[in-house]
Amino acid sequence: MKSELKKMKYLISRNIKLYFKDKFTFFVSLITPFILFILFVTFLKTTYENNLEAIIQNYSVNKKIINAFTGGWLFSSVLSTSCITVAFCSGMMVLDKITKANIDFCVSPVKNSTLQISYVVANLITTLIVCSILFFIGLLYLTFIGFYLSFSDIILIVFNMILTSLLGCLIANIIWTFASSQGVVSSVCTLISAMYGFICGAYMPINTMGETIKNVTVFFPGTYATLLFRKGFLNGTLNEMGKTLPNEMVEEIAKSFDCSFKFFGNSVSTATMFLVLIGSITIFFIILFLVSKLKRKSK
Amino acid sequence: MENVIEIKNLKKYFGTVKAVDDISLNVKKGQLFAFLGLNGAGKSTTINILVGILEKDSGECLINNKSIENINAILPEIGIVFQSSILDKNLSVYENLKYRAMMYDLTNEQFEKNLTFFVENLEMKDILTKPLDKLSGGQKRKVDIARALIHKPSILILDEPTTGLDPKTRSLVWQLVNNLRKKENLSVLLTTHYMEEAVESDFVVIMDNGKIVATGTPNQLKNKYANDYVKLFNYDKKILKILEKEKITFQKNKEFLLIEFKNTMLAKNFVVENKHLIFDLEILKGKMDDVFLNVTGKNLKENL
Ligand SMILES: Nc1ncnc2c1ncn2[C@@H]1O[C@H](COP(=O)(O)OP(=O)(O)OP(=O)(O)O)[C@@H](O)[C@H]1O
Ligand SMILES: [Mg+2]
Repeated sequence: MKSELKKMKYLISRNIKLYFKDKFTFFVSLITPFILFILFVTFLKTTYENNLEAIIQNYSVNKKIINAFTGGWLFSSVLSTSCITVAFCSGMMVLDKITKANIDFCVSPVKNSTLQISYVVANLITTLIVCSILFFIGLLYLTFIGFYLSFSDIILIVFNMILTSLLGCLIANIIWTFASSQGVVSSVCTLISAMYGFICGAYMPINTMGETIKNVTVFFPGTYATLLFRKGFLNGTLNEMGKTLPNEMVEEIAKSFDCSFKFFGNSVSTATMFLVLIGSITIFFIILFLVSKLKRKSK
Repeated sequence: MENVIEIKNLKKYFGTVKAVDDISLNVKKGQLFAFLGLNGAGKSTTINILVGILEKDSGECLINNKSIENINAILPEIGIVFQSSILDKNLSVYENLKYRAMMYDLTNEQFEKNLTFFVENLEMKDILTKPLDKLSGGQKRKVDIARALIHKPSILILDEPTTGLDPKTRSLVWQLVNNLRKKENLSVLLTTHYMEEAVESDFVVIMDNGKIVATGTPNQLKNKYANDYVKLFNYDKKILKILEKEKITFQKNKEFLLIEFKNTMLAKNFVVENKHLIFDLEILKGKMDDVFLNVTGKNLKENL
């Protein structure tokens, strides 16, 4: 057992090293946050501001709070998509099949489960490194325009970041178990990068989507990850707004910007959201386990 | 002598292709075992089954008396050089060797000690920090060989290890392998298309279309399958009549007359009987090339 852990340590550091040597996938995985950033600067920021003003109407809110709110929205979107897209854009398991490095591990005395776990963990670490950098940039940005995050908000964000990335890594590696060409990795990566932002409500609040889409998204675990990021980034500013705005108005803002959420009429607590995430992670972990068992047998 | 590799009635079909069709063989401890055959004969397939990359259809394989069903128990004993390189192109030679070595539970000291040994013996000092994809084909091959041996296995499997190596590097590799055979009683299973390497081996198996078609020591095989040749440079033309009369195969060109005999005895007798017609000659013993081509049904005479 101890020796398998040592092997895993070396496998993980190998996978991480290889990930950062391949600059291309690294940059591809940053496309979504980059697009988000461009959209934000060009028109999303104004759209959000207009939406806010429509709710607030005659009340007045400090410009600093508005900026902090839209900024928080941007970076919660950036993180909720990046945790998934960065995870999906590194298909180390597939690359190893293409370069036949997997064969070399096959003839090394290392357990298949050790190999599998090291792919997922390396994937998780690289994703977290990239996302932490983005998070750091976000914190820096918010410090300049208006910082209302509490320590517990930051803890919530970090914790959620780990869970979301883990979820992404597990799902990605399940797919990679069946893939064996670069084409599959690139197309899955491109597809996820292009699509995920829409489904998880990163570009537009889920609340503004049609009823049908809304009813579908409540079954995606990714939705809860996004909602948790919203909470983490926006709770502080909402509290701050509460100082000058009536309660119903703050609730209305929270609702239309996905900071509170109802599952077919019942509001969903933060703890429940985390439970949904952890539950999904457990399920996908079991699927990955079964899938790699199956794969091993059909050589 | 004890068997390190035992293969019994091994079969592997890919659809209708009978890649390995009921073969049995034993590799003994310390032996240099050559596994020959034309392209597509089934050599790599057999090797891939032995190390657990491919699943066999039927038959039995034992390595050090352990069944390959539990491959993880056997793998620490085996070092393998594949037909094509499978190391990480983006990592340096050192990183590649280190990461692979760590799969064998070596301590850092053991690794550094083994590494130093191979760096010296394979002359890899200058390439140690270079990324693999900046190396020449031959340099990569040296790294493959170091990778296979880094954990000091007792069985070395070489799938065409020296293809594409210059003569100096090739002899470097063979010096190392022979050195390890002598000092550590390393057993070697080798596939090669170079007959001069096969000649050096202790035992030879020739495969054709998934079946074993000949086995024996190089000498046994030569005696059995290789023809001897008498090359006459200066001779009486009357000898051609005799050859035609006795239906002995021969070839004539401007410089010499080449006569083929089943074995050395026949060649000697012919020369003695016709010594008055022969003025300058050379007797050529059969070579491994002959054995190979005769067994696999090809003809080499035009190459002589
Ligand atoms: N994965 C595979 N799927 C289908 N057919 C295969 C596969 N691997 C090998 N074969 C077939 O099995 C036969 C034996 O191939 P193998 O690679 O064992 O030959 P070999 O003796 O190693 O040849 P070479 O000297 O060219 O390396 C060939 O006809 C090949 O086409
Ligand atoms: Mg081969």
